[in-house]
Amino acid sequence: MATTKFRHVFGRLWGFATSCKKSSSSNPIGTRILQRDVEKEEFQFASTLCLSSYYSVFVVRLAIMVMLAILIGLLTILTWHFTKIYTTKSLNSLAYDLRYELLQRPILRMWNILNSTSEITIAQVKLSQYVIRSHGNLTTQEDQVEMYEAMRAVTWALFASRKALNSITVKYNNGFVQAFHRDIKDNNTFYIYSDLDNYSIGASGYNNSELNYSSLSSQESSWNDNDNKSTVWYRQPLDPVTGERIGKPMQIAPEDSIHIAGLSQVPDGVASWRVAVSKFTDSPLLSAALPVWDSSNKSIVAVVGVTTALYSVGQLMKELVELHSGHMYLTSLEGYLLATSTDAPLLDNSTQPPKLKMAVDCENEVIRLGAEYLRRSSGNKFPPSHEVHVANVRLGHDRYYIDSFFLNLKRLPLVGVIIIPRKHILGQVDERAFKTLVILISASMCIIVIGWVCILILTNGVSKEMKLRAELISQLEARRKAEASSNYKSQFLANMSHELRTPMAAIIGLLDILMSDDCLTNEQCATVTQIRKCSTALLRLLNNILDISKVESGKLVLEDAEFDLGRELEGLVDMFSVQCINHSVETVLDLSDDMPKLVRGDSARVVQIFANLINNSIKFTPSGHVILRGWFENPNPCSDSANFLMEEKKLQCAQKTRAKQYENHAKRTSERDKKAVLWFEVDDTGCGIDPSKWDSVFESFEQADPSTTRLHGGTGLGLCIVRSLVNKMGGEIKVVKKEGPGTLMQLYLRLDTAGDDTEQHCLVDIANNGLVVLLALHGNIGRSITSKWLQQNGVFTMEASEWNGLTQILRELFHTRSSSGTNNGFDVHYPIPESLKSRLLSIQEIRHPVFVIAVDIGLLDLSTDIWKEQLNFLHRYLGLAKFIWVLNHDTSNTIKLELRRKGYMMTVSKPLYKAKIVHILEEVIKERNHEMQKKNMDELHVHESDYTHCDAASSDDSDISESAPCNPVSSTEKFEQFDLLSRYRINNCLIGLTDEHSEVKTPRKEDSYQNNHNSPKSLSAEQAYFPREAHQGEDSESRGKEEHRIIRGLGRPANGKKSLEGLRILLAEDTPVIQRVATIMLEKMGASVVAVGDGQQAVDALNDMLGVEDFRRDSNLNERNTRSSSPQTEILSFPSYDLVLMDCQMPKMDGYEATKAIRKSEVGSGVHIPIVALTAHAMSCDEAKCLEVGMDAYLTKPIDFKLMESTILSLTRKTTS
Amino acid sequence: MEVGQMQRQWLDYTRSLFIEGFLDGQFLQLEQLQDDNNPDFVVEVVSLFFQDSHKLLNDLTIALDQKSVDFKKIDAHVHQLKGSSSSIGAQRVKNCCIAFRNFCEEQNTDACLKCLHQVKQECCLVKNKLETLFRLEQQIMAAGGSIPMMELSF
Repeated sequence: MATTKFRHVFGRLWGFATSCKKSSSSNPIGTRILQRDVEKEEFQFASTLCLSSYYSVFVVRLAIMVMLAILIGLLTILTWHFTKIYTTKSLNSLAYDLRYELLQRPILRMWNILNSTSEITIAQVKLSQYVIRSHGNLTTQEDQVEMYEAMRAVTWALFASRKALNSITVKYNNGFVQAFHRDIKDNNTFYIYSDLDNYSIGASGYNNSELNYSSLSSQESSWNDNDNKSTVWYRQPLDPVTGERIGKPMQIAPEDSIHIAGLSQVPDGVASWRVAVSKFTDSPLLSAALPVWDSSNKSIVAVVGVTTALYSVGQLMKELVELHSGHMYLTSLEGYLLATSTDAPLLDNSTQPPKLKMAVDCENEVIRLGAEYLRRSSGNKFPPSHEVHVANVRLGHDRYYIDSFFLNLKRLPLVGVIIIPRKHILGQVDERAFKTLVILISASMCIIVIGWVCILILTNGVSKEMKLRAELISQLEARRKAEASSNYKSQFLANMSHELRTPMAAIIGLLDILMSDDCLTNEQCATVTQIRKCSTALLRLLNNILDISKVESGKLVLEDAEFDLGRELEGLVDMFSVQCINHSVETVLDLSDDMPKLVRGDSARVVQIFANLINNSIKFTPSGHVILRGWFENPNPCSDSANFLMEEKKLQCAQKTRAKQYENHAKRTSERDKKAVLWFEVDDTGCGIDPSKWDSVFESFEQADPSTTRLHGGTGLGLCIVRSLVNKMGGEIKVVKKEGPGTLMQLYLRLDTAGDDTEQHCLVDIANNGLVVLLALHGNIGRSITSKWLQQNGVFTMEASEWNGLTQILRELFHTRSSSGTNNGFDVHYPIPESLKSRLLSIQEIRHPVFVIAVDIGLLDLSTDIWKEQLNFLHRYLGLAKFIWVLNHDTSNTIKLELRRKGYMMTVSKPLYKAKIVHILEEVIKERNHEMQKKNMDELHVHESDYTHCDAASSDDSDISESAPCNPVSSTEKFEQFDLLSRYRINNCLIGLTDEHSEVKTPRKEDSYQNNHNSPKSLSAEQAYFPREAHQGEDSESRGKEEHRIIRGLGRPANGKKSLEGLRILLAEDTPVIQRVATIMLEKMGASVVAVGDGQQAVDALNDMLGVEDFRRDSNLNERNTRSSSPQTEILSFPSYDLVLMDCQMPKMDGYEATKAIRKSEVGSGVHIPIVALTAHAMSCDEAKCLEVGMDAYLTKPIDFKLMESTILSLTRKTTS
Repeated sequence: MEVGQMQRQWLDYTRSLFIEGFLDGQFLQLEQLQDDNNPDFVVEVVSLFFQDSHKLLNDLTIALDQKSVDFKKIDAHVHQLKGSSSSIGAQRVKNCCIAFRNFCEEQNTDACLKCLHQVKQECCLVKNKLETLFRLEQQIMAAGGSIPMMELSF
C-alpha cells in the first residue's frame, strides 16, 4: 500500500514537472523576444508561487490520503483476520480429532492383532504343556508319535480358529518341528513337519539345559546345529477348513517357507515379540514366541511361535485413508516400516534375505518426505511418548498435516504416522480465504483510490477557493490601501491648500497696503500690481485644488437654500461683461421665460459652475459672443403659448410672492421634493475643442490643447470642478456639436424648484402699453435676442446696429410724424429697406405710442469730439422718446456728466438682459403715468438713481432686495448699498469663498483705481468690499487711509438706522471672551443682547419669559447689555427674543441639547425662534448635526462680523416679514 | 517721544505681530468693535481671555496629572480655549489647541503634555506681546495721539 502511495506521489510530482516543462516550452518561439521574456518571468514567478502553495496543499492531501489508506487497510486486515482465523481454528481442531480418530483405528487393529497373537500363543503353550505332560515319559517312538499327533490336532484347532494367523510353529527340544502355515496370497494351508526318524528320544541336551540354564547358549547352538544339519522338512497342503490332508507331503528345505521360532527367541523363557520378515510374503510379520516348560517347570520342552501378518493393518489403513487421499504408516521404534496405507513394498528385495525398509526409504514419496520431516524435527531417536502434531507441512508440492502417535508395546514399541493433505481439510477454506483476501484487498484498493480521487477533487476545490479568497483579501487590502492613499492625497491637498491660503492672504493684504502707499513710483506700482495679479491667480488655483479635493474626498456638502437663479446668473454676466470689454466679445444671457425663478440649491456652487464655464469661453474667444442659455425642461409641459404671458408675469411678480412663500414655509417643505431639470448651454465662438477631447477636457489637469497653458494660462482644473459639481447636483455636462466655430457646452442640473406653481400675477403689464422700443445696440446677438423676446411679449421693436441706421430710423419715425425735421450734418439719406418701412407703417397705427430708444454708447464716435454733435442731434428727440443710454463699464466720466447735463436720466450698463429691460420698461410706463398726472420735475431726480441702479436691484441679494421693486422710491443710499452688497456677493461666490473678502477686493482693484476719484460708479464698486462696515455706523476719526474713509463715509446709514436695530438676541456662550466679543459685535449692529452662560439658562430664559430680568441681573457680565428700552413690552410680546445665538459646546447643557429642548417646547405654539449655532468645529458634518437638531444657521468661530450680520438679518427678516 | 514716531512704532509692532502669526484678522475685528461706548474693549476682552485661559490651563494641568486621564474633559477644555483664543485672534494659541485636540483624540498623554506646555508658552508669549502693544497704545494716548488704523485685512 505504501509503495503505491509513493508511486502515486511521485507520479503527481512528475506530472506537474512535465506540465511545467510543457507549458514553459509551449510558448510560441516566434513571438517577440521581449514579450516572451516577460511572459517567462511572469510564468516563473507564478510557478514558484504556485509551487509553494502546491506543496502545502500537497502535504495536506498526502496526509489525508495516508490516513484513509491506513484506515481502510486496517479494516481489511481485521475483517480478513477474524473471518479466517476463527474458521481455521475450528477446522483445525476438527481436523485434529479426525486425524486422531483415523490413526486410532489402525493402532487398535494392531493392538488387536498383537493381543490375539499373544492369546493364541499363550493358548498354544498351555495346550502344549497339557499334552506333553499327559504323555508323560516318552519312551517309545509310538508314544512320541502319539503325542505329536495330539499336538498336531491341538495346534490345528487353534490355527483354524484364527484366520489372521500366518503360522503356528512348535519346535520341540529334540528338534522336531510341527507347523501350520497359511499362505494368504494363495489361500492355501500347509502342514509342515520335520522328519521324525532323525530324532532320538533321549535327549541329553534337555538334561543339560535343565541342569544349567546358564549354558543355554551352547545348548541352543546344538539345537541349531541339529536343525541345520540333519532335519528334513515336509510340507503337506491341507484343506483350509477341515484340516484334512489333501496332498502329498513334499520335502522342502528347512526354514524354506516359514520361520520356525526356536529356543533362541525365548532365551530367558519369557514371551518375545518381534517383527519378522518371511521369504514368502512381502509384508512383515509379527511373530511371538513362548517356551513350553515341562511339568516341573525346569526345562523347556518346546517353543511355540505364532506369526501374524500385518497385512490386514495395511489394508485397514488403506481403506481409512482412501477417503481423503492421505497416507498412514506404522513404524517400529527404529523407523522400520511395518504397515503403510500404500501399496509400496515394505521389504527391501534387493538384499537376501529381504529386510524391512526404513520409513525414510519408502518408495512412496509422501511417506518418505513425511518420515524425513519427522526425523528432522525430532531427531533420529524417537522419544517415547512423544507425539507430533504439525499442521501445514510442505511435502513436495502440497501441504500436509502430520501427526504421529506412539504405541508402547512391550518389546515392540510402535509409531503411527498419519499424513493428510491439507487441501482435503482446509482446501476450500484456504481457497476461500485467499479469494476473500484478494477481494478485500482489491475492494479496499478501489475505495482508497476513489477516496483519493475524491479528496483530490475536494481539496482541489478547497484550495482553489482558498487561493481565490487569499487573492480577494489581498485585492481588498490593496484597494483599501489605494483608497487610503487617495484619501491622504486629497487630505494632503486640502490641508496644503488651506495652509497655503493663509500666507497668500497675508501676501495679498500686504500688497494692498503697499499699493495704497502713495510714495511708490510708477514702475514699482506696476510691479506690485503684477505681483498682486499673480498672487490672486495662485490663490484661485489653491481654491480650485481645495474644491477638487473636497469633492474627491466627498466632503463637499451642497447647501440647500433658496436662491434666485436668474439673478445670480445676471450678476455673473454683469461681471464677465466687464472682462469682455477688452476682447470685443459680447456676453449674452438668454434665459427662457419658463425658468423657475426660485430654486433650492447651493447658489455659490451653481454660480461657480457657470463662472468657470464662462471664464473658459471668454478665455478662448477672441471675438464674437458668449451666450449663456437656459431653459426649463418640464416633466409635464403645458402649452407654452398659452402660458407665455402668465409666465412673464410670474417672472416679475416673483419678488412679491416671495413674501408669501415665507409664510408658507412650513407648508412648502413638504411639497419641495419636485426636482426640476434645468438645461443650460454655454455657447461661444472661440477656437473650439477637438471632438476627440470632448470627454477628456473634464478630467483634472486636462486641457484641450497643451499649448493653451502657454497661451491662456490655467491649470485645467476648472472643467473638472464643474463636472464634479454638476454631477453632485444630479446633472451631466458634455460638449455637443455646434455649427460654426466655437464650443457648445450643454449641461443640466437637477434642482428643487422652490416657487409655488400658483404664482400670482401682479406685474405691470409691459405689453399693450403702446411701447415701441428702438434697440440701437452694438452687439448683434444680444440685440436680436432682446428684440425677439420683446416682440414675443407684445412690444414693438426696431433694431439699429450703427449710428447711421439709428438716425435713419429716428428720422423716419419722427419726421413722418412731425413732418418737420431739421436737416443736420449727421443724417445721411439712405434708402430705407422695405421691411423697415412696413414696420414704420405699423407703428403709426399704434395709438399713443411711447418710444423707448436704447442707445449703446458705443454707437457714438468717442474717439473724436463728434460724439457731442451726435448727442446734440439726439437731444432733439428727447421730448419725443425716452432715451436709455447703455453704458460701457469704461465709459468715461465726462460722457456721463454730459449725458446727465443734457437730462438723460436713464442709464444702464451693459449687458442689457431681460430683467434690466423689464425694469426699464416698467419705469418708463410709470413715468409716463406720472407725467400724465403732471408730477413735477423734481421727482425725476429721484428716479434717476433708481434707473441707474435698476440693474443692481435685479442682481441683488434676495434677502435685501425684496423691498426694492415694490418700493422703488426709497433712498438713494439704500440702493447703493444694495448694489455694493450684490457685487460683494457675486464676487465672493465666484471666488468660491465667503469669508475672505480681501481676496475679492483685489481683482477689480485696477479699474477701481483708475476711476477712483471721478467715477461714482466705480467708487461704489470699490466700496462693495466692505459693505458691512457701513453698519458700524461710527464715524471715527480719520484713520489715515483714503480707502477706509470712503468706506466709513459711505457706510453711514442714511436713516441712521443700524442693521439689527431693535432686535433682541439671546446669546448662549460659556467662554467669557467670546461672549464679550459677540455681545459687542451685536450691540454695534444695534441689537440688544442677553448673554447666558450655558444651554440650560438659555432654555430657561426662553421658556420662562418672566424670568428674563432675573437672568440679566444674575449674569455679571451683562450689565451693559441690558440696554434695551422696555423689557416690559418684550415680555408681553411673545417671543421676546428674535434670535438665539447658541454655542454648541457648553457646560451643563450643550447647544444641541438646548436646541432640542427649545424646539420641543415650541411644538404646538407655532413659534419658531431662529437659532444660530456658534461652533469652533468647522466641518460640514457639524453643520449637518446643527441643522439636524433644529438650528437654522451655523456660524463658525471666530465670529465673522459680516457673516454674522447677514445670517442674522436673513433669519430675522424671514420671521418678521 | 514724538507721537508720530510712536504711532509708526505701534504700526510696525502690530504688523510684526500679524506677520509672525501671533494675531489674525479677528483681532482687527476686535479693534473695530472698540468705540467710544467701549473705549477699553480690546483690553477688557484680552484680559478676560487671559483670566479664562489661566483657569483653563490650570484645569488642564490638573487633569493631565491624574492617573487615569479623562480625555473627554481635556478635549472640552481645549475646545473652549480654542474658541476663546480664536475669538481674540490669538492665532498661534489656536493652532496649538488644534494640535492638542488631535492628540486628545489619539489619547496620547505625552503629546498632550507637550502640547499643554506649548500652549502655555504661546499664551505667555502672546500675553507679553499684547501687553507691550497695549503699553504702546497707552503711551500714544497719553501723548495725545490716536491709535492708527490697521488696514491689514486678513
